[in-house]
Amino acid sequence: MALSASAVALPGVLVSTSAISDTPPTAKVISYRASSYKEDSLASEALLAGSPERYDIEIHQLRYSSPIGEKYSISLDSSYESMSGASPWYTVKSANGNTKVAMSGASIYEKRRDVTASVQRYYDRGNVGASFTISDENDYRSNSASVDGSFTLANDSTTLSLGIAHSDDDINPTDAALFNRIPSANKSTTSAFFSVTQILNQFSIIQTGVSSTRAGGYLTDPYKLSDHRPEERNQFTWTTSWRRYFREQRSAFHANYRFYDDDFGVRSHTIDFALHKSFSRSITLVPNVRYYQQQAADFFTPATDFARTMEFNSSDYRLSKYDALSAGLKFNVQLGDYTLVLSGERYRTSGSSNPAMIDFTRLSAGIDYTF
Amino acid sequence: MHRNLRISLLLSALAVMTACQFVPAYQRGDLARPEMAFDADPLGSKLNQHIYFSKEASTGGNGVAAGGCGCN
Repeated sequence: MALSASAVALPGVLVSTSAISDTPPTAKVISYRASSYKEDSLASEALLAGSPERYDIEIHQLRYSSPIGEKYSISLDSSYESMSGASPWYTVKSANGNTKVAMSGASIYEKRRDVTASVQRYYDRGNVGASFTISDENDYRSNSASVDGSFTLANDSTTLSLGIAHSDDDINPTDAALFNRIPSANKSTTSAFFSVTQILNQFSIIQTGVSSTRAGGYLTDPYKLSDHRPEERNQFTWTTSWRRYFREQRSAFHANYRFYDDDFGVRSHTIDFALHKSFSRSITLVPNVRYYQQQAADFFTPATDFARTMEFNSSDYRLSKYDALSAGLKFNVQLGDYTLVLSGERYRTSGSSNPAMIDFTRLSAGIDYTF
Repeated sequence: MHRNLRISLLLSALAVMTACQFVPAYQRGDLARPEMAFDADPLGSKLNQHIYFSKEASTGGNGVAAGGCGCN
Protein backbone atom coordinates (compact mmCIF):
# COMPACT_ATOMS: atom_id res chain seq x y z
CA MET A 1 0.00 0.00 0.00
CA ALA A 2 1.36 3.36 -0.87
CA LEU A 3 1.03 6.82 0.52
CA SER A 4 -0.83 9.74 -0.86
CA ALA A 5 0.08 12.57 -3.11
CA SER A 6 1.01 16.09 -2.29
CA ALA A 7 -0.41 18.04 0.55
CA VAL A 8 1.60 21.21 0.46
CA ALA A 9 -0.54 23.84 -1.11
CA LEU A 10 0.01 25.88 -4.19
CA PRO A 11 -2.32 28.27 -5.92
CA GLY A 12 -4.73 26.22 -7.94
CA VAL A 13 -3.69 22.88 -6.52
CA LEU A 14 -6.27 20.65 -4.94
CA VAL A 15 -4.51 17.81 -3.28
CA SER A 16 -5.34 14.23 -2.53
CA THR A 17 -7.47 13.93 0.59
CA SER A 18 -6.54 10.51 1.87
CA ALA A 19 -3.52 9.85 4.03
CA ILE A 20 -2.85 6.55 2.33
CA SER A 21 -4.08 5.80 -1.15
CA ASP A 22 -2.67 5.21 -4.57
CA THR A 23 -5.97 3.89 -5.80
CA PRO A 24 -8.93 5.97 -6.94
CA PRO A 25 -11.70 6.65 -4.44
CA THR A 26 -14.21 3.81 -4.39
CA ALA A 27 -17.36 5.94 -4.25
CA LYS A 28 -18.82 9.08 -5.72
CA VAL A 29 -19.40 11.93 -3.30
CA ILE A 30 -21.46 15.08 -3.66
CA SER A 31 -20.90 17.69 -0.96
CA TYR A 32 -22.60 21.00 -0.27
CA ARG A 33 -21.79 23.66 2.31
CA ALA A 34 -23.50 26.95 3.14
CA SER A 35 -21.46 29.32 5.28
CA SER A 36 -21.84 32.71 6.88
CA TYR A 37 -18.75 34.84 7.54
CA LYS A 38 -19.21 38.00 9.59
CA GLU A 39 -16.57 40.49 10.70
CA ASP A 40 -17.05 42.51 13.88
CA SER A 41 -17.79 46.21 13.37
CA LEU A 42 -14.98 48.73 13.70
CA ALA A 43 -14.79 50.25 17.19
CA SER A 44 -16.46 53.66 17.22
CA GLU A 45 -13.44 55.38 18.79
CA ALA A 46 -11.28 54.17 15.86
CA LEU A 47 -13.63 55.40 13.12
CA LEU A 48 -12.59 58.59 11.35
CA ALA A 49 -15.14 58.50 8.53
CA GLY A 50 -17.40 56.14 6.62
CA SER A 51 -19.28 53.08 7.78
CA PRO A 52 -18.09 50.94 10.72
CA GLU A 53 -19.77 47.86 9.26
CA ARG A 54 -17.22 45.33 7.99
CA TYR A 55 -17.67 42.44 5.57
CA ASP A 56 -20.60 40.09 5.82
CA ILE A 57 -20.22 37.20 3.35
CA GLU A 58 -22.44 34.29 2.39
CA ILE A 59 -20.67 31.36 0.77
CA HIS A 60 -22.10 28.36 -1.08
CA GLN A 61 -19.79 25.49 -2.00
CA LEU A 62 -20.45 22.41 -4.12
CA ARG A 63 -18.06 19.51 -4.75
CA TYR A 64 -18.36 16.34 -6.81
CA SER A 65 -15.70 13.64 -6.82
CA SER A 66 -15.79 10.31 -8.60
CA PRO A 67 -13.63 7.40 -9.69
CA ILE A 68 -13.35 6.96 -13.43
CA GLY A 69 -12.52 3.35 -14.18
CA GLU A 70 -9.77 1.75 -12.13
CA LYS A 71 -6.99 4.27 -12.74
CA TYR A 72 -8.53 7.74 -12.72
CA SER A 73 -10.55 10.05 -10.55
CA ILE A 74 -12.00 13.47 -11.15
CA SER A 75 -13.32 16.23 -8.94
CA LEU A 76 -15.20 19.44 -9.57
CA ASP A 77 -15.31 22.20 -6.98
CA SER A 78 -17.26 25.42 -7.21
CA SER A 79 -18.05 28.21 -4.82
CA TYR A 80 -20.17 31.33 -4.89
CA GLU A 81 -19.71 34.25 -2.52
CA SER A 82 -21.84 37.34 -2.06
CA MET A 83 -20.41 39.99 0.20
CA SER A 84 -21.40 43.39 1.55
CA GLY A 85 -19.82 45.87 3.94
CA ALA A 86 -17.19 48.57 4.09
CA SER A 87 -13.40 48.23 3.94
CA PRO A 88 -10.55 50.38 5.29
CA TRP A 89 -9.54 53.21 2.93
CA TYR A 90 -6.75 55.01 4.81
CA THR A 91 -5.53 55.70 8.35
CA VAL A 92 -4.36 58.86 10.15
CA LYS A 93 -2.80 59.72 13.49
CA SER A 94 -5.23 61.74 15.58
CA ALA A 95 -4.22 64.60 17.89
CA ASN A 96 -4.03 62.27 20.91
CA GLY A 97 -1.69 59.93 19.05
CA ASN A 98 -4.21 57.18 18.32
CA THR A 99 -4.63 55.80 14.82
CA LYS A 100 -8.02 56.32 13.22
CA VAL A 101 -9.46 54.58 10.19
CA ALA A 102 -11.39 56.06 7.29
CA MET A 103 -13.68 53.42 5.84
CA SER A 104 -15.29 53.32 2.43
CA GLY A 105 -18.49 55.36 2.84
CA ALA A 106 -21.07 53.36 1.00
CA SER A 107 -21.51 49.66 1.43
CA ILE A 108 -19.67 47.52 -1.10
CA TYR A 109 -21.60 44.71 -2.80
CA GLU A 110 -19.56 42.09 -4.60
CA LYS A 111 -19.85 38.55 -5.87
CA ARG A 112 -17.20 35.96 -6.59
CA ARG A 113 -17.44 32.61 -8.33
CA ASP A 114 -14.76 29.99 -8.73
CA VAL A 115 -14.60 26.59 -10.38
CA THR A 116 -11.83 24.00 -10.13
CA ALA A 117 -11.63 20.87 -12.27
CA SER A 118 -9.11 18.20 -11.32
CA VAL A 119 -8.08 14.83 -12.69
CA GLN A 120 -5.82 12.24 -11.07
CA ARG A 121 -4.14 9.21 -12.66
CA TYR A 122 -3.06 6.38 -10.33
CA TYR A 123 -0.13 4.02 -10.78
CA ASP A 124 1.17 1.14 -8.71
CA ARG A 125 3.63 3.35 -6.87
CA GLY A 126 2.22 6.82 -7.19
CA ASN A 127 -0.06 9.17 -9.01
CA VAL A 128 -0.06 12.30 -11.12
CA GLY A 129 -2.69 14.99 -11.25
CA ALA A 130 -3.63 18.21 -12.95
CA SER A 131 -6.14 20.91 -12.13
CA PHE A 132 -7.45 24.14 -13.57
CA THR A 133 -9.16 26.94 -11.64
CA ILE A 134 -11.08 30.03 -12.70
CA SER A 135 -12.02 32.69 -10.17
CA ASP A 136 -14.19 35.56 -11.36
CA GLU A 137 -15.28 38.85 -9.78
CA ASN A 138 -16.51 42.04 -11.41
CA ASP A 139 -13.07 43.63 -10.90
CA TYR A 140 -10.76 40.60 -10.75
CA ARG A 141 -10.25 37.42 -12.77
CA SER A 142 -7.76 34.66 -12.10
CA ASN A 143 -6.87 31.62 -14.19
CA SER A 144 -4.58 29.05 -12.64
CA ALA A 145 -3.31 25.60 -13.51
CA SER A 146 -1.20 23.05 -11.73
CA VAL A 147 0.36 19.63 -12.06
CA ASP A 148 1.55 17.46 -9.22
CA GLY A 149 2.74 13.94 -8.66
CA SER A 150 3.89 11.53 -6.03
CA PHE A 151 6.08 8.45 -5.91
CA THR A 152 6.27 5.84 -3.18
CA LEU A 153 9.71 4.45 -2.44
CA ALA A 154 10.49 0.74 -2.38
CA ASN A 155 10.19 0.66 1.43
CA ASP A 156 6.44 1.25 0.96
CA SER A 157 6.54 3.74 3.82
CA THR A 158 7.85 6.92 2.24
CA THR A 159 6.23 9.01 -0.46
CA LEU A 160 7.85 11.91 -2.28
CA SER A 161 5.59 14.54 -3.80
CA LEU A 162 6.19 17.57 -5.92
CA GLY A 163 4.21 19.99 -7.97
CA ILE A 164 4.15 23.28 -9.79
CA ALA A 165 1.39 25.81 -10.30
CA HIS A 166 0.91 29.04 -12.17
CA SER A 167 -1.72 31.76 -11.93
CA ASP A 168 -2.43 34.73 -14.21
CA ASP A 169 -4.64 37.44 -12.74
CA ASP A 170 -6.31 40.48 -14.34
CA ILE A 171 -7.25 43.43 -12.12
CA ASN A 172 -9.82 46.02 -13.27
CA PRO A 173 -10.69 48.26 -10.30
CA THR A 174 -14.14 49.83 -10.24
CA ASP A 175 -14.50 53.63 -10.34
CA ALA A 176 -10.88 53.89 -11.47
CA ALA A 177 -11.24 57.34 -13.03
CA LEU A 178 -13.28 58.72 -10.13
CA PHE A 179 -10.72 57.74 -7.48
CA ASN A 180 -7.56 57.92 -9.60
CA ARG A 181 -7.00 54.17 -9.38
CA ILE A 182 -5.03 52.20 -11.90
CA PRO A 183 -7.52 51.33 -14.68
CA SER A 184 -6.21 47.82 -15.24
CA ALA A 185 -3.24 45.70 -14.22
CA ASN A 186 -1.91 42.15 -14.17
CA LYS A 187 -0.07 39.91 -11.83
CA SER A 188 1.21 36.37 -12.06
CA THR A 189 2.20 33.80 -9.47
CA THR A 190 4.35 30.71 -9.91
CA SER A 191 4.89 28.12 -7.20
CA ALA A 192 6.69 24.87 -6.64
CA PHE A 193 6.64 22.47 -3.73
CA PHE A 194 8.29 19.31 -2.52
CA SER A 195 7.11 17.15 0.38
CA VAL A 196 7.91 13.87 2.09
CA THR A 197 5.26 11.73 3.75
CA GLN A 198 6.40 9.02 6.13
CA ILE A 199 4.63 6.30 8.09
CA LEU A 200 6.17 6.43 11.57
CA ASN A 201 4.38 3.42 13.07
CA GLN A 202 1.02 1.64 13.09
CA PHE A 203 -0.74 4.74 14.44
CA SER A 204 1.32 7.73 13.28
CA ILE A 205 2.11 9.41 10.01
CA ILE A 206 4.00 12.63 9.32
CA GLN A 207 4.39 14.89 6.34
CA THR A 208 6.87 17.71 5.87
CA GLY A 209 7.44 19.92 2.89
CA VAL A 210 8.73 23.19 1.52
CA SER A 211 7.26 25.52 -1.08
CA SER A 212 8.57 28.52 -2.94
CA THR A 213 6.38 31.11 -4.64
CA ARG A 214 7.19 34.10 -6.79
CA ALA A 215 4.52 36.72 -7.39
CA GLY A 216 5.16 39.46 -9.92
CA GLY A 217 3.24 42.41 -11.35
CA TYR A 218 0.77 44.72 -9.64
CA LEU A 219 0.79 43.65 -5.98
CA THR A 220 -0.59 46.93 -4.61
CA ASP A 221 -4.14 47.21 -3.23
CA PRO A 222 -5.88 49.53 -5.72
CA TYR A 223 -8.67 50.37 -3.25
CA LYS A 224 -6.43 51.89 -0.56
CA LEU A 225 -5.19 55.46 -0.70
CA SER A 226 -1.44 55.91 -1.15
CA ASP A 227 -0.61 52.19 -1.20
CA HIS A 228 2.66 51.35 -2.97
CA ARG A 229 4.15 47.85 -2.85
CA PRO A 230 7.04 46.21 -4.69
CA GLU A 231 6.24 44.49 -7.97
CA GLU A 232 7.86 41.24 -6.92
CA ARG A 233 7.33 39.03 -3.89
CA ASN A 234 9.19 35.82 -3.11
CA GLN A 235 7.61 33.58 -0.51
CA PHE A 236 8.80 30.47 1.28
CA THR A 237 6.99 27.99 3.52
CA TRP A 238 8.04 25.00 5.55
CA THR A 239 5.15 22.88 6.75
CA THR A 240 4.96 19.81 8.95
CA SER A 241 1.80 17.83 9.71
CA TRP A 242 1.44 14.93 12.13
CA ARG A 243 -1.47 12.52 12.56
CA ARG A 244 -1.81 10.10 15.48
CA TYR A 245 -4.67 7.64 16.01
CA PHE A 246 -5.70 6.58 19.52
CA ARG A 247 -7.62 3.35 19.10
CA GLU A 248 -9.07 3.03 22.61
CA GLN A 249 -10.27 6.63 22.60
CA ARG A 250 -11.45 6.34 18.97
CA SER A 251 -9.74 9.64 18.29
CA ALA A 252 -7.42 11.03 15.66
CA PHE A 253 -5.14 13.87 16.74
CA HIS A 254 -3.98 16.38 14.12
CA ALA A 255 -1.08 18.80 14.60
CA ASN A 256 0.15 21.20 11.91
CA TYR A 257 2.91 23.80 11.88
CA ARG A 258 3.82 26.29 9.15
CA PHE A 259 6.77 28.64 8.95
CA TYR A 260 6.38 31.44 6.40
CA ASP A 261 8.89 34.02 5.19
CA ASP A 262 8.90 36.50 2.32
CA ASP A 263 10.95 39.41 1.00
CA PHE A 264 8.26 41.93 1.98
CA GLY A 265 9.68 41.28 5.46
CA VAL A 266 6.69 39.27 6.63
CA ARG A 267 7.57 36.22 8.70
CA SER A 268 4.94 34.13 10.44
CA HIS A 269 4.35 31.01 12.49
CA THR A 270 1.08 29.08 12.38
CA ILE A 271 0.24 26.14 14.59
CA ASP A 272 -3.06 24.32 14.85
CA PHE A 273 -4.42 21.27 16.60
CA ALA A 274 -7.60 19.26 16.08
CA LEU A 275 -9.04 16.17 17.71
CA HIS A 276 -11.43 14.00 15.68
CA LYS A 277 -13.35 12.20 18.42
CA SER A 278 -15.87 9.50 17.45
CA PHE A 279 -18.65 8.91 19.97
CA SER A 280 -20.34 6.15 18.01
CA ARG A 281 -20.21 4.77 14.49
CA SER A 282 -22.13 7.82 13.28
CA ILE A 283 -21.23 10.84 15.45
CA THR A 284 -17.93 12.70 15.39
CA LEU A 285 -16.97 15.88 17.21
CA VAL A 286 -13.92 17.88 16.10
CA PRO A 287 -12.71 20.72 18.34
CA ASN A 288 -9.75 22.69 17.00
CA VAL A 289 -7.56 25.62 17.97
CA ARG A 290 -5.24 27.69 15.77
CA TYR A 291 -2.59 30.28 16.66
CA TYR A 292 -1.07 32.64 14.11
CA GLN A 293 1.66 35.23 14.66
CA GLN A 294 3.21 37.47 12.04
CA GLN A 295 5.80 40.23 11.81
CA ALA A 296 5.05 43.44 9.94
CA ALA A 297 6.14 44.04 6.37
CA ASP A 298 9.20 46.28 6.07
CA PHE A 299 7.15 49.05 4.46
CA PHE A 300 4.11 48.93 6.76
CA THR A 301 3.14 52.30 8.25
CA PRO A 302 0.40 52.55 10.93
CA ALA A 303 -0.74 55.87 9.43
CA THR A 304 -1.03 56.21 5.67
CA ASP A 305 2.09 57.82 4.21
CA PHE A 306 0.45 60.42 1.95
CA ALA A 307 3.74 62.29 1.48
CA ARG A 308 5.30 59.03 0.31
CA THR A 309 8.46 59.48 2.36
CA MET A 310 9.36 55.89 1.49
CA GLU A 311 9.41 54.35 -1.99
CA PHE A 312 7.15 51.57 -0.77
CA ASN A 313 4.49 52.02 1.89
CA SER A 314 1.19 50.55 2.96
CA SER A 315 -1.09 51.00 5.95
CA ASP A 316 -2.95 47.76 5.16
CA TYR A 317 -3.70 46.19 8.55
CA ARG A 318 -2.93 42.75 7.08
CA LEU A 319 0.73 43.77 6.75
CA SER A 320 1.03 44.84 10.40
CA LYS A 321 2.50 42.84 13.27
CA TYR A 322 -0.20 40.93 15.13
CA ASP A 323 -1.32 37.66 16.71
CA ALA A 324 -4.51 35.76 15.95
CA LEU A 325 -6.13 33.03 18.00
CA SER A 326 -9.08 31.06 16.72
CA ALA A 327 -11.11 28.15 18.03
CA GLY A 328 -13.67 26.03 16.27
CA LEU A 329 -15.97 23.09 16.64
CA LYS A 330 -17.31 20.68 14.02
CA PHE A 331 -20.09 18.16 14.42
CA ASN A 332 -20.59 15.30 11.94
CA VAL A 333 -23.57 12.93 11.96
CA GLN A 334 -23.67 10.04 9.51
CA LEU A 335 -27.13 8.79 8.52
CA GLY A 336 -26.74 5.98 6.00
CA ASP A 337 -25.25 7.43 2.83
CA TYR A 338 -25.63 10.97 4.14
CA THR A 339 -23.36 12.91 6.48
CA LEU A 340 -24.58 16.12 8.06
CA VAL A 341 -21.89 18.66 8.94
CA LEU A 342 -22.18 21.65 11.27
CA SER A 343 -19.18 23.81 12.17
CA GLY A 344 -18.24 27.19 13.57
CA GLU A 345 -15.14 29.24 14.24
CA ARG A 346 -14.34 32.39 16.21
CA TYR A 347 -11.19 34.33 15.19
CA ARG A 348 -9.71 37.13 17.32
CA THR A 349 -6.65 39.27 16.75
CA SER A 350 -4.43 41.29 19.08
CA GLY A 351 -1.24 43.32 19.09
CA SER A 352 -1.71 45.29 15.89
CA SER A 353 -0.90 49.01 15.65
CA ASN A 354 -3.73 49.33 13.14
CA PRO A 355 -7.24 49.39 14.69
CA ALA A 356 -8.73 48.12 11.42
CA MET A 357 -7.61 44.60 12.35
CA ILE A 358 -10.55 42.23 12.11
CA ASP A 359 -12.20 39.66 14.34
CA PHE A 360 -14.72 37.36 12.69
CA THR A 361 -17.19 34.55 13.20
CA ARG A 362 -17.86 31.78 10.68
CA LEU A 363 -20.77 29.33 10.77
CA SER A 364 -21.21 26.48 8.25
CA ALA A 365 -23.77 23.76 7.58
CA GLY A 366 -23.70 21.12 4.90
CA ILE A 367 -24.28 17.60 3.73
CA ASP A 368 -22.24 14.89 1.99
CA TYR A 369 -23.94 12.19 -0.09
CA THR A 370 -21.88 9.10 -0.87
CA PHE A 371 -23.09 6.68 -3.56
CA MET B 1 15.30 33.63 4.91
CA HIS B 2 18.87 32.37 4.89
CA ARG B 3 19.58 29.49 2.58
CA ASN B 4 21.38 27.63 5.35
CA LEU B 5 18.33 27.84 7.58
CA ARG B 6 16.13 26.43 4.83
CA ILE B 7 18.49 23.52 4.32
CA SER B 8 18.78 22.83 8.03
CA LEU B 9 15.02 22.87 8.43
CA LEU B 10 14.65 20.35 5.66
CA LEU B 11 17.44 18.16 6.95
CA SER B 12 16.05 18.18 10.48
CA ALA B 13 12.66 17.22 9.12
CA LEU B 14 14.15 14.41 7.11
CA ALA B 15 15.99 13.24 10.23
CA VAL B 16 12.58 12.57 11.77
CA MET B 17 12.01 10.05 9.03
CA THR B 18 14.80 7.86 10.32
CA ALA B 19 12.81 7.29 13.52
CA CYS B 20 10.16 5.26 11.73
CA GLN B 21 9.40 1.55 11.74
CA PHE B 22 8.07 -0.60 8.90
CA VAL B 23 4.33 -1.23 9.16
CA PRO B 24 2.97 -4.11 7.07
CA ALA B 25 -0.09 -3.44 4.94
CA TYR B 26 -2.44 -5.44 7.17
CA GLN B 27 -1.61 -3.15 10.12
CA ARG B 28 -2.38 0.08 8.30
CA GLY B 29 -6.11 0.08 8.93
CA ASP B 30 -6.01 2.92 11.45
CA LEU B 31 -3.74 5.01 9.23
CA ALA B 32 -6.26 4.62 6.42
CA ARG B 33 -9.19 5.97 8.44
CA PRO B 34 -10.82 9.06 6.86
CA GLU B 35 -10.22 11.10 10.01
CA MET B 36 -6.47 10.43 9.67
CA ALA B 37 -6.30 12.12 6.26
CA PHE B 38 -4.09 15.17 5.94
CA ASP B 39 -7.12 16.94 4.56
CA ALA B 40 -10.16 15.25 6.10
CA ASP B 41 -12.66 17.89 4.93
CA PRO B 42 -11.82 19.33 1.47
CA LEU B 43 -14.62 21.90 1.35
CA GLY B 44 -14.07 23.04 4.93
CA SER B 45 -10.33 23.33 4.40
CA LYS B 46 -10.77 25.19 1.14
CA LEU B 47 -13.02 27.78 2.78
CA ASN B 48 -10.79 28.22 5.82
CA GLN B 49 -7.65 28.64 3.74
CA HIS B 50 -9.45 31.13 1.51
CA ILE B 51 -10.42 33.18 4.57
CA TYR B 52 -6.91 33.07 6.05
CA PHE B 53 -5.44 33.96 2.65
CA SER B 54 -7.77 36.98 2.53
CA LYS B 55 -7.07 38.23 6.05
CA GLU B 56 -3.43 37.33 6.73
CA ALA B 57 -0.20 38.23 4.96
CA SER B 58 0.94 34.61 4.75
CA THR B 59 -0.23 31.98 2.33
CA GLY B 60 0.58 28.48 1.15
CA GLY B 61 1.57 25.22 2.74
CA ASN B 62 -1.80 24.23 4.09
CA GLY B 63 -2.91 21.26 2.07
CA VAL B 64 -5.42 22.98 -0.12
CA ALA B 65 -5.06 25.95 -2.36
CA ALA B 66 -6.68 29.23 -2.97
CA GLY B 67 -6.68 30.47 -6.53
CA GLY B 68 -5.95 34.14 -6.95
CA CYS B 69 -8.71 36.53 -5.98
CA GLY B 70 -9.26 40.21 -5.37
CA CYS B 71 -9.56 39.60 -1.64
CA ASN B 72 -5.86 40.07 -0.97
